[in-house]
Amino acid sequence: MGALTQFHTGVPMTRDEIFAKVVEIVKPYVKNEEALEAVNEETNILEDLKVNSARLVDIILNFEDEFDIEVEDEDADAVNTVGDAVALIQEKLS
Amino acid sequence: MTRLSFSTRAAHAFQREVGRLAALFWVLAIPFILRVLMRYRIKDVAGVRTRYRALLKESDRPFLICPNHLTMMDSAVITWALGGSWWYLFHYSRLPWNLPEYNNFASQWPTRVGAWLTKCIPVIRGGRREDISRVIKRVQHLLARGETALIFPEAGRSRSGRVEADSVAHAVGRILTSVPGCQSLCVYLRGDRQQTWSTVPARGDSFYIDFELMEPKSDHAGMRRSRHFSQQIVDRLVGMEEEYFAGR
Repeated sequence: MGALTQFHTGVPMTRDEIFAKVVEIVKPYVKNEEALEAVNEETNILEDLKVNSARLVDIILNFEDEFDIEVEDEDADAVNTVGDAVALIQEKLS
Repeated sequence: MTRLSFSTRAAHAFQREVGRLAALFWVLAIPFILRVLMRYRIKDVAGVRTRYRALLKESDRPFLICPNHLTMMDSAVITWALGGSWWYLFHYSRLPWNLPEYNNFASQWPTRVGAWLTKCIPVIRGGRREDISRVIKRVQHLLARGETALIFPEAGRSRSGRVEADSVAHAVGRILTSVPGCQSLCVYLRGDRQQTWSTVPARGDSFYIDFELMEPKSDHAGMRRSRHFSQQIVDRLVGMEEEYFAGR
């Protein structure tokens, strides 16, 4: 992680920065605070962080707003872990 | 819309045709359970069924039945109210496919068999996204080929006893946005004795039912469009509920 990967509204975003932003967006929906403290790219959003599955849609819509991207339903099917979310955002920004 | 594999399409056809044969038996069993054992009544049932059949004649477009959700019997009562068991025997494609929560019926084999024979596709709410996506694709396929399905647009039985506008099931909008021409049949069902949510309605309850075909619109794209569709359906159900309470 850490390589310059993307420019968002003229500001370069590293994968680490996207990861940090993703965690910040997910945080209000997390029910397992301990898992959040140890969060990494392999952390499963539903199973580890205990986010309600219905709220995952809200989270992805927040990604759209924060990163100014558009996500299709089929894209969202691939989002299981925090790393999946980061990868999706990187792909959309590219 | 993704095309289903041959094996999945064949499994649907097998389930549908075996269910059609089994319908010869449950057309007697379902009314016996609902009318005789549970003593349920539908208000103006003849008028409801006439309206429903007229609606089917007016449009050959696919539609998804989207009711409010208070009890685990809602889909059975709605299906019975709209068509009547004998009618489904001769209009089997109009018997809606249902998506019951797997854990609600899977513990005993008779309920599993019963669900399979009555066009149920089990879903594990909060389960793996790829599994849920697979179920959604199955429903998309079924609607596109002219069948009917029933999905609750609220994300669960309403704990408050009223339609919860901030509890929206995204899958409903996702299905509607992906099946060309698909409409939503918003259905409001409520037993006179139903104060809040429950497992089954009270024995002897009398049900009010109203329905309205709607076609959600949205300027959004992607997931936001699907969410907007789901929200419009839930909002319409809120409106139908207000009309119900205003008319009491």
